[in-house]
Amino acid sequence: MAQSTFSTVDEYGFERHEDFDYESYEHFMSVYLKVLASRAQKWATLLGEGKSVKRTNTVKRYVRKGIPSEHRPSVWMAISEAEQMKDQCPDLYQKILDGPFEKELVDLVKTDLPRTFPDNIYFTKEANHQTHLFNVLIAYAHNNRVVGYCQGLNYIAGLLLLATKSEETSFWLLKVLVEKILPDYYTKTMDGLIVDIEVLSELVKSKAPDVHQHVINLGLPWAVITTKWFVCLFAEVLPIETVLRIWDCLFYEGSKILFRVCITLIKNNRALILSCNDFTSLAECFKAIVKNASALHCHEFMQSIFKVPGTLSNSTIIKLRARFAKQRREQQQKEPPR
Amino acid sequence: MATNRSGASQRPNGAPQTKVCQFKLVLLGESAVGKSSLVLRFVKGQFHEYQESTIGAAFLTQTVCLDDTTVKFEIWDTAGQERYHSLAPMYYRGAQAAIVVYDITNQGGAGVCGMRAIFTIELPTRDTFGRAKNWVKELQRQASPSIVIALAGNKSDLAAKRMVEFDEAQAYADENGLLFMETSAKTAMNVNDIFLAIANKLPKSEGAGGGSAAGARRLADGEQPRSSTCCK
Repeated sequence: MAQSTFSTVDEYGFERHEDFDYESYEHFMSVYLKVLASRAQKWATLLGEGKSVKRTNTVKRYVRKGIPSEHRPSVWMAISEAEQMKDQCPDLYQKILDGPFEKELVDLVKTDLPRTFPDNIYFTKEANHQTHLFNVLIAYAHNNRVVGYCQGLNYIAGLLLLATKSEETSFWLLKVLVEKILPDYYTKTMDGLIVDIEVLSELVKSKAPDVHQHVINLGLPWAVITTKWFVCLFAEVLPIETVLRIWDCLFYEGSKILFRVCITLIKNNRALILSCNDFTSLAECFKAIVKNASALHCHEFMQSIFKVPGTLSNSTIIKLRARFAKQRREQQQKEPPR
Repeated sequence: MATNRSGASQRPNGAPQTKVCQFKLVLLGESAVGKSSLVLRFVKGQFHEYQESTIGAAFLTQTVCLDDTTVKFEIWDTAGQERYHSLAPMYYRGAQAAIVVYDITNQGGAGVCGMRAIFTIELPTRDTFGRAKNWVKELQRQASPSIVIALAGNKSDLAAKRMVEFDEAQAYADENGLLFMETSAKTAMNVNDIFLAIANKLPKSEGAGGGSAAGARRLADGEQPRSSTCCK
């Protein structure tokens, strides 16, 4: 990883833009490389005895401190339900790829292939990731007809491919995310997404009431700010190393992690947000805070998501989800569909 | 370029020499017709052959100088896929202007992608023009009654693959009181022009513009009174 500090392409193949802050990045890496080295050793010991990864408190603690990139594919499979799902139908992925495919889905997916990470060297027309991405997305669209293809899944599958370098692993991880870890974010009506945005709004209201009120006063709905955060699971939002560290925890601990990240971003940048005094500067502020130094320093950031938001129990999330889902159903019954 | 990024609000103290009006504009239309590309061309003067698909919406601003008025657009560029539809009202609510975009080849998607060519003949074409008409209908029903709507037939550089005739779109626009232009984000044709035409058509007299549309955003405490002094 060290050699990429000065490269114009990062270790995942993303081109660094002209405004890339090499100095901050170098500072970050000088610290983070030591963390990576120490974690690599710990994981080597954990995995070295030939034990499979089990969901234990030790593993959970290890995951929170970051999974070394070379172990991510196998550990993500093991700590989520993906491996179990795969064991139940080991041939599924290949069988779907034998076809046939529906042309409508093919067209939909193909439209987005060149529009996924166009600034990543592995996703150019000449490289092979567009083909892999097509296979993963088309297979999933046929496997789950309720979801089919939803824009946003291209970024998730794309990043899974970059992290795992395996189509089949990416397929199963995508499946476990959409079907086990997240509520209905990607279905035709995106109900789970809309509900989770309401849940977040409620959590911000109780955990950072001044920020919540300020954002409401300036007329910026939380949905406008956070739709992409939820849909892309922070891919294409936060710096890539930070996204992968979030996904480590997401695969182990579930969708609650997303709320922890959102609230941390909001609370960490409370002063900045409160200093915005019009709609435009607030919208720009939310674009900036996902790219600043605190978002880049992924190790500290990941430590802070378990401290900054305070208590956040699963039962709170479940209760809030139920409440807003009910509200939404009642609202839909009143308003005839468009 | 007819646009000016600095805007009148940057002038040293004292009253601005021209009126400054701030308007919310939303882009709507089927996926991959070129909404983000039109905005990128208008705001940054750039074009990317492969523009990333927009998730949720992107926010940008750009300022246009007319003779006696500076118009600052707050632009919401939305996601095109049908299932993001339920989020759209959030973006067009309170908007004073909308650009509804379709693709004159009516396909949507990158027309140059090699793999697509196999399917373009066999497939029923994606009806990006029909989808545009639905957006117009929805805006007429649900958005602010005074909203200025422009119809943009984008990808005019691909005229050889044209599926929607200029006259057909023009007639539809006339019937519905829409501004209409064929545009090309790739060549920049008519891109500034369509925004300028909207800027010209937006009401800039007192009590109109920012003030008239239901849900137009209000100024917060401490906000520079750019818009409140606007148009007087």
